[in-house]
Formats: sequence, structure tokens, C-alpha cells
Amino acid sequence: MKRYVVAGALMVVSLIPAVAFAQPGSVVPRTPDGKPDLTGVWQGGSTVRGSWDDANSGLGVGGSGKNPDAPAVVGSNERPAGREGAPYQDWAAKKVLESFNKRGIDDPTALCLPPGVPRSVILGLFPQKIVQTPKEIVVLYEYMHTFRMIPLNAKHPDDLLASYMGDSIGHWEGDTLVVDVTGFNDKTWLAGTGTFHSEALHITERYTRVDRDRIDYEATMDDPKVFTKPWRLTSTLMLREGARVQEYVCAENNLDPANFEKLLKEGAQITR
Amino acid sequence: MTRWISCACVLIAMTWTAPHRAAAHHSFGAEYDANKPVMITGVLTEIDWRSPHTFFFVNVTDNDGKVANWKFEGYPPTVLSRLGWKKDTTMKPGDRITVSGWRARDGSNWAHSREITLADGRKLMFGPPAGTGDGGSAPAVDVR
Repeated sequence: MKRYVVAGALMVVSLIPAVAFAQPGSVVPRTPDGKPDLTGVWQGGSTVRGSWDDANSGLGVGGSGKNPDAPAVVGSNERPAGREGAPYQDWAAKKVLESFNKRGIDDPTALCLPPGVPRSVILGLFPQKIVQTPKEIVVLYEYMHTFRMIPLNAKHPDDLLASYMGDSIGHWEGDTLVVDVTGFNDKTWLAGTGTFHSEALHITERYTRVDRDRIDYEATMDDPKVFTKPWRLTSTLMLREGARVQEYVCAENNLDPANFEKLLKEGAQITR
Repeated sequence: MTRWISCACVLIAMTWTAPHRAAAHHSFGAEYDANKPVMITGVLTEIDWRSPHTFFFVNVTDNDGKVANWKFEGYPPTVLSRLGWKKDTTMKPGDRITVSGWRARDGSNWAHSREITLADGRKLMFGPPAGTGDGGSAPAVDVR
């Protein structure tokens, strides 16, 4: 009897770590066809659970000051700690550095142009909404008011016009949504100041909803015209229940290009 | 001029350091100088709730009674709404407010805002940390 008690106690103890680290409500929601349901409003670039208010206090995205210890969400044009250097060819790396040294005044979004992929996915200042159906997944991005339509088990059209957000098709590999994106123009930045690309860009994205609150995101960017090898980065999307995707019309009153021009003309020291 | 700067109306808070991080978007770091923090108390004269960035204007009176109108830039209306701001309610022209932020590189009465202390003492963020959008502390490529 004593032996069983000891064995039982050991079993309970062995379960403690799993219980301790399990997230409340961590069951992945599923659609009637059994696929993970990605539907919801999400915030890119964060790892903090909870509402938009909970996660963006302190010095985070626009922090409310309620929690000064809340971690900041790294901007889409900054390089997060630990991320490997982008594998640009030497000539291309110099071009990236030029933009960095100019503090990003040549950022295409300063002209209110669509931010492209994966930048739209990994930025945290604005929410994005995923709407999942059995045949197609749609993503609505508040930032620059853009969208992506991702038909499942489809083929890219033969007559693609080069575009800012590219053409996306998706399929499921187990519980991971794999999205193939091509048909880009060369007018967006990928993930950081100056991270330009050519029209040869081809991106493979992987979205895995690992629990109720979190999607693990991975983007592998291949562009043989500018990279020495594919550039892979990872990020996370966090569920923000109650947050809404709203209208953001950047062109309404965009004064930044004129400000940059004025400062440069007057000799202000902008560069690093 | 020295007296004006040293008055309580405008405090160049050199001890207030700013983390170099946060959001995305147009380069605040290019237009504004992270080494020139500013804190101003004055009377709100106008708010222009528009994208991509909201602007507001504050009248600051110096010890001699001379009034200067300062322009501040901040987040767009949708971002502000998620931070608890309500248009035409939270802050109205005529309110006395205190604003912290960083000055524009041209040295004029122009700055980007970070935190606003409202007339009732509440504090709310209105703009991003210093340097936002300028690429941060390390380029995307390793310098070779």
C-alpha cells in the first residue's frame, strides 16, 4: 500500500510542472472541419497575453502608464534583440545601411504606401483581423488599411501584376497554415529599416496557433537577387479579444515627407 | 531668452532619459531629436484628430506674459482610442495640460509628444518613445 502511495505521490509531483506552465484556457479553438481556427483580432510582435490594455501598458506600444514593467513591443522597422542579421549580398547590405544611417526617411510607409509582407504581420502598433473560412482566409490590417486574401489549396494566377502585398495561397500542414506569397513589386521593406527586396521575392509563411492566445509565426524570405541565402525570421501574434480593427487613412494629412524635406533643406542634422 | 527657458513654463528635462524602442511608422527619429527632451505646461488651443498622426497646439506664457504657440505630434486617432483617449472629451481646447516629449531638429516651437498630464491630473500617453521609426540601435544587417 505504502509503495502505491509513494508512486502516486511521485506521479502527482511529476504533473506539477505541466500544470504550472499550462496557460489558462489554452485549448486551441477549432473549426467544424477540425482545423485550428485562426479567426480573431491579433497583435503582432508581442508575447504578452491579455487584452490590448493589459498588454500595452507602461512603455509598450503607446503604453497607458498603468504598468511600467510591461515589455515594449519592438517596432517593425527595428531589429529585435537576438535576431540574426539579414543575409544581404554585400552591395545590398550597403544599401540597407544607407537607409539606417538616414534614420529611415526613405521608408515607403512615410509616403503612406502599403507596408508589404512580413512587415504588416509583425508590427504591433495596429491590430490585424483574421477571418477563416474552409476555402479562404482573409486578413484585414488596420495599418495602411490593407488586406490579404489567402485561398486554400489554390494556385497563383498566371497573370499576376506586381503588388505591394503580393499574392497569397495557403494550405494546411497538420495544424500549421502554410502561406506561399509571390508577385511582389520592389517597393516595400521586409522587416527593418532599409530591408528592401526585388520583384523576385518569394515568401513562405507558417502560422501555428499553439494555444488559445498565441500564434507562432515564421517567415522565410527568398530573393536571390539581394540575399545570399533565404532569410528566416520568427515572431508571435497574440489574441486581443475586444480590440477592433478600425479605419486608418494615412493619406489624410501626411506631413512627414514635407517635414523631412524642410529639415534637410535647412541643414538639420538628421543622419547618424 | 535665458530667463524664458528657465521659467516654469518650459523645462528641458535633460535628466529624463527615453528608451529607444516601440512602434512602427514614419521616422519620428529623423524629425525629432532624442537628445532634446522637453516638458511644457500651457493651455490647449487646438487638436487636429487626423491620420497618419494627430497634432495639437498649446499656448505657453512666459514670465513676461509673452505667449508662444507650440505644435505637438502624436499617434493617429485609432491608436489613441485604444489608449483610452476619447475625441473632444478627454482633452478640450482651453484645458491646462502638461506635455512631455522631444523637440524637432529645427529648434522651433515644435515637438513630438509622449505623455500628457490632463487638467484633472490623469496621465495618458499621446505619442511614441523617442527615436521611434528611425531603425533603433542596430541595423538589420550585420556591419562587416
